[in-house]
Amino acid sequence: MKLTLMGNEAIAYGLIHSNTKMVSGYPGTPSSEILTTVQKLKKDLPIYSEWATNEKVGFEVAYAGAVAGVNAAATMKQVGLNVASDALMSASFIGNKGAFVLIVADDPGFNSSQTEQDSREFARFARIPVVDPATPQEAYDFTKLASKISKKFEIPVMLRSVMRVSHSREIVEIEDNFEFKDVEGNFERDIPRWAAVPRAGRLKQAYEQLERIDKIREYNYNELIKPKIEKLKGTENLVISSGAAWGYVKEVTDELDLDIDILKIDMPYPLPVKELKDLVKQYKKVLVVEETYPVIEEEVRCENVYGRMSGHMHQIDEMNKERVLEALKKVGFYEGENIYKPVFVPENPKTRKPNLCPGCPHRDVYFAIKKVFRPKKSIYPSDIGCYTLGINLDAIDTVLCMGASVSMAHGFAIADKNKTVIATIGDSTFFHSGTAPLINAVYQKAKFILVILDNSTTAMTGRQSTPERATGGEVDLKKMAEGCGAEVMEYFYKPDINETINFFKEVKKRFEEVDRPLVVISRQYCVLDKERATQFLPGIFATVDEEKCVACDVCTTQYVCPPMHYNERGKIEIDPLLCIGCGVCISGICPTDAFIPRKDEK
Amino acid sequence: MRYQIVVAGFGGQGVVFLVKVLSICAGKKGYKFLGTENHGMSQRGGSVSSHIKIGDFYNPLIDFAQADLLIGLDRDEAILNLPYLKRGGNVVVNADEFPKIEAKVFAVDANKLAEEGVFDAKGLNVFMLGLTLAEVKDFPFSVDEVKAAIEEINPKFAPQNFEILDKALKYGKN
Repeated sequence: MKLTLMGNEAIAYGLIHSNTKMVSGYPGTPSSEILTTVQKLKKDLPIYSEWATNEKVGFEVAYAGAVAGVNAAATMKQVGLNVASDALMSASFIGNKGAFVLIVADDPGFNSSQTEQDSREFARFARIPVVDPATPQEAYDFTKLASKISKKFEIPVMLRSVMRVSHSREIVEIEDNFEFKDVEGNFERDIPRWAAVPRAGRLKQAYEQLERIDKIREYNYNELIKPKIEKLKGTENLVISSGAAWGYVKEVTDELDLDIDILKIDMPYPLPVKELKDLVKQYKKVLVVEETYPVIEEEVRCENVYGRMSGHMHQIDEMNKERVLEALKKVGFYEGENIYKPVFVPENPKTRKPNLCPGCPHRDVYFAIKKVFRPKKSIYPSDIGCYTLGINLDAIDTVLCMGASVSMAHGFAIADKNKTVIATIGDSTFFHSGTAPLINAVYQKAKFILVILDNSTTAMTGRQSTPERATGGEVDLKKMAEGCGAEVMEYFYKPDINETINFFKEVKKRFEEVDRPLVVISRQYCVLDKERATQFLPGIFATVDEEKCVACDVCTTQYVCPPMHYNERGKIEIDPLLCIGCGVCISGICPTDAFIPRKDEK
Repeated sequence: MRYQIVVAGFGGQGVVFLVKVLSICAGKKGYKFLGTENHGMSQRGGSVSSHIKIGDFYNPLIDFAQADLLIGLDRDEAILNLPYLKRGGNVVVNADEFPKIEAKVFAVDANKLAEEGVFDAKGLNVFMLGLTLAEVKDFPFSVDEVKAAIEEINPKFAPQNFEILDKALKYGKN
């Protein structure tokens, strides 16, 4: 059957078509749609597919399923694997009975991520096999392959996707009339395996791990690589590539009409190094094209192998065909012109920065924080989520990784006693990794303010559910913060800037009286959450009284709402197509009250 | 058959919907298809461009000077994406004016038309697709094929989208 699928949807089909019974993970671009698609597709099938509070938790829930003999998978983005890596490093010794597919989506080019790390490197570090699909079709096929290899060798197998696979769309051939085979989990006690402890237990498993990886190396050669080597024509030079990078190479060599053998590696680790080095010797020069770290290159490196390590490929940022062409030129495989040189080069084109949505309550909270806690006397640590866009309002000083707002606020409070530390974190990020640092801060009597921007959703990645909303109150943010021992204040957001500013004035007063972290929970809605937003948005659409506007820049630098821009007369204008009708700008953002309600309201 | 399209806009304009429509069109005609979508940070009102490659391709990204067609849902975004356009390619853009370049440019101030109530602003993406169907001679799909794809994605909203498409077709012909 042929379906038009996004890479992440193809992976979801691949999971179901491998009889995967448990899927857990944490949302993160570009991986999020995998689990949501499983949830959509499963219908009456006996599949557990739930978001976990973080990637480590998701990994462990699913992994236990695989230990108990059912096929399982965990999904996350590349930085999520950093969080889950503790579990991975041990699981790679212990292994699994049912299949365990670890799906990690990388983000070459930093499109939606803080790092550009290559998860294949992580697989090599953990000594687990990794498959690297190039297209949505391969994403489907390789998910099934990963499940098969994992079951056969009883080891976690990584499916490494990248943004250009996860978020590309193609016509994918999937299995017809698939019937899900349900397997009941049955945990079989095997203490030396499942609870191997240092030193003897783990040492034994370490030797087994090496043996296993050698067997998989052999499998990789016989099943995946050898058939491809046999088809090579024996040209003068060779390109070795894998994953999405292969697509660029294939297109460039087609478009330049170059006669060069291309060996596409489906499983970049573990590689049959000896056989590959023998192959490399048969060519004059070999160029390795891969994304983003030199994983294959490092394994097969010898004097006629070129790539990143030899300085022939670009080092950072996403691949494109021009970069491949440049590398082919540098290494001497091509001598002609650059066919990817633009014909039209605009002068100073305007780019649009991402911004908080019109009507987003985060904007008001940041505006109020900056009004009440002045920048010169404050430090604003923040965290990972939509609200990171508060950076447009200069209301964020630091962004490190999930949960770091809390622990860094603690650290700043100790290091710089002359400033007030006021940190911001989203509810999902707080559930993900905010409690451990908060407990630590209470325990160490650190004094700072932590504002939890609670919109009851994981907004940035597509509004996945969060524990508080999904459980209907059994998980309670306020009780959690109180339970950690922090002082707690709660605000129920109103689309009126004076209300929000007055609340933060109260926060300032209270903070002077307490000797521990003060947690402020701002209960607010996500404007993309239609169910809730419609209840809160007053429908007061704004326009500008141009006589009052003095072009002071307060709205464009302190509030930064997308519909606001200067017109040709040098006055602020509201784009009526973007204004959502929250009415906050009218309530008191402008020092000269230039924002007024639009009269022609429907 | 090889045809490359860049759709340029910003978050919330429905760029991804157009990728879906064109992918279904390609699937029904038996063409190979690769398209990109933007999610996450890039969706929050920032510049969004989707690349659509119909035919024998292996990677979803379009490189500079390769696109046969640039559909601009916004003037500035279209200009930003001009490097992808090949010499003599087509530009269909929502703009009151556009720089004179060695390409077939069709500019319409669709924002103004939406404000005047000609069509609902939420349907800007479909309106621009309609203009493309009317104006671009080598566009690989027909009106009926596009309509069938729109119907497949969401039958409930299909009538509204058809109406917008027809308005655009009429507008394009005049």
